[in-house]
Amino acid sequence: MDEKNILEDIARKEYEHGFVTDVEQEFIPKGLNEDIIRMISAKKEEPQWLLDFRLEAFRKWQKMKMPQWAHLDIPEIDFQDIIYYAAPKKDSDRPKEIDPELAETFEKLGIPLHERAALAGVAVDAVFDSVSVTTTFRQALADKGIIFCSFSEAVREHPDLVRRYLATVVPSGDNFYAALNSAVFSDGSFCYIPKGVRCPMELSSYFRINAKGTGQFERTLIVADEGSYVSYMEGCTAPMRDENQLHAAVVEIVVEKDAEVKYSTVQNWYPGDAQGRGGIFNFVTKRGICKGTGSHLSWTQVETGSAITWKYPSTILKGDNSSSEFYSVAVTNNFQQADTGTKMIHIGKNTRSRIVSKGISAGRSQNSYRGLVKMLPGADNARNFSQCDSLLIGDRCGAHTFPSIENANRTAVVEHEATTSKISEDQLFYCNQRGIGPEEAVGLIVNGYAREVLSKLPMEFAVEAQKLLQVSLEGSVG
Amino acid sequence: MPVTAVAAGESLNRSIVIGREDPGDCLLHVVMAADSHLDLSVIVLPGASSRVNLRVDMEGPGAEAYISGIYLCPGAEEVSIRTDVNHKVPHCVSRQLFKGIAGGTAKTDFYGKIVVAQDAQKTEAYQENHNLLISDSARMDTRPQLEIYADDVKCSHGATVGRLNEDEQFYMRSRGIPESEAMTLQMLSFISPVIGHIPDIQTRENVSRIAEQAIRSFREV
Repeated sequence: MDEKNILEDIARKEYEHGFVTDVEQEFIPKGLNEDIIRMISAKKEEPQWLLDFRLEAFRKWQKMKMPQWAHLDIPEIDFQDIIYYAAPKKDSDRPKEIDPELAETFEKLGIPLHERAALAGVAVDAVFDSVSVTTTFRQALADKGIIFCSFSEAVREHPDLVRRYLATVVPSGDNFYAALNSAVFSDGSFCYIPKGVRCPMELSSYFRINAKGTGQFERTLIVADEGSYVSYMEGCTAPMRDENQLHAAVVEIVVEKDAEVKYSTVQNWYPGDAQGRGGIFNFVTKRGICKGTGSHLSWTQVETGSAITWKYPSTILKGDNSSSEFYSVAVTNNFQQADTGTKMIHIGKNTRSRIVSKGISAGRSQNSYRGLVKMLPGADNARNFSQCDSLLIGDRCGAHTFPSIENANRTAVVEHEATTSKISEDQLFYCNQRGIGPEEAVGLIVNGYAREVLSKLPMEFAVEAQKLLQVSLEGSVG
Repeated sequence: MPVTAVAAGESLNRSIVIGREDPGDCLLHVVMAADSHLDLSVIVLPGASSRVNLRVDMEGPGAEAYISGIYLCPGAEEVSIRTDVNHKVPHCVSRQLFKGIAGGTAKTDFYGKIVVAQDAQKTEAYQENHNLLISDSARMDTRPQLEIYADDVKCSHGATVGRLNEDEQFYMRSRGIPESEAMTLQMLSFISPVIGHIPDIQTRENVSRIAEQAIRSFREV
């Protein structure tokens, strides 16, 4: 059939960020033990307290087991077979400049590192394997008192701030992957918005795994002081390889009184090929705390990549009248697996949360929503509404919904609803009849289905996300 | 668990009442053949701490099941409800409706799972669980689960935990209905969809009478 041929063609289209950059890299030996951790810490010239923090986390991690409860089929991971630190060697002749090859890599990915070429109004922190390559617009931000730099730099230049907030939201022994990250984390972004400051531009981190056999363990810490506002975006890609690579990040967000943080992710790690070989294991712990009264945290995520995703961005609503939102689109195709969702823990009075999750599964993939809404006894008049929809494309994929609701307050109200269906033939017919091909029609319908979430993304990301949705689903209609 | 089979084309209606007099667990496993019909309801009355475990396997196409329940827990009861509905073949329909009210220091937990197998196309599976929390020391958890491996299906679940609607209360009280009576009426109307569905008139009237008595025993609201 004609239609089928076209679809197969497009399905064969490669992951467009799958290239490898040939830069001279510095590695440390494979494996994980206390010496390796000391070595990472020494390379980064870290203070003693941070090394102690790493070692303590490592000791906790050794006693932990990989979590098995998710609806995922995870092959055994040999944690001794991973390189925990890889950095592009710096060209000693030009220490102030970015390595031209690296600059080119980020250019190819559409992330210009030179400020003049940068997208107006977006400051970028680019992380290549284990180190941050550069952070743009630093001066413009510093004028407002905003600190936005790589994590290692923050440890050197603002140790008090880092020490005060590090691991306050995700303790080092929180879970298996968070403990691993706390022990070996390499780089990431640090961001501090002072009291009453409205960040004038979007802040953005861009993560790239390049080296073979390595894992990426970045750590991001965002602190929004009283009455401040920031919108933060995160993007990620990796080369195409037959092996699975591990990405275990930790993101912590602290939102003080009346502050607002918007955190958006477009996750596009290499998902593996159509036979399910290779791809990134994305095991991430993201959590924010609405600490002060009236604080607000909003999560928006578009998940299209990774062979396996295990990710639950959560909010602890501690301050009275604080609120949080979670908007998610998760797309899985071929042999991808995703177990993702959110947790909303209501502690304060009059706290509000809203969850909108749209799952799309195609091919032979498995896509699960897993969520927790918990109302503690003190959460008077708290309110939650959750809406989780799943769309199935093809008869060999799975869509699952596992919400958990716990209510211990008489005045709190929790509502959850979920639906599962496929793209209706009427909708497809309507498009076809008007000359829109099947592939394009599915793209249209899916984009319409995900609109509610996409509209929450910052403009620059929304365009990218829409294209991504289209690409991820190519070849899934037959 | 004892297995009850519903033969092809047959139908089974059953209402189970668990009360203070005959507490204990309710474990039931029903296997449904082609075009069979099941109507099952479980009423857990005050004073009974129990575990209700219902499993329904749809093994023949065209089977239809309606599974419902009420749990009324004004005291220190601990009630756990678990349902497993397995759609193994195409063209089956299942509907679930469970309603609970908790006061005092009661704890309730609802866990409802729907599994639609890979080839069970044209399945329709619906589940609803609604809970009313009327005391500060009570606790209600609900965990609806959907596991779907077929694409041509219509499945949904809905779950809520909430309180009595204040606008309705105001409406009734402004018309001279005392507060406690207004609340009783609200609770009665909350559970009435489950009772109204019981097919046998005799059973329906019985259950309705017992449930009303039970609701009037919710004193401390």
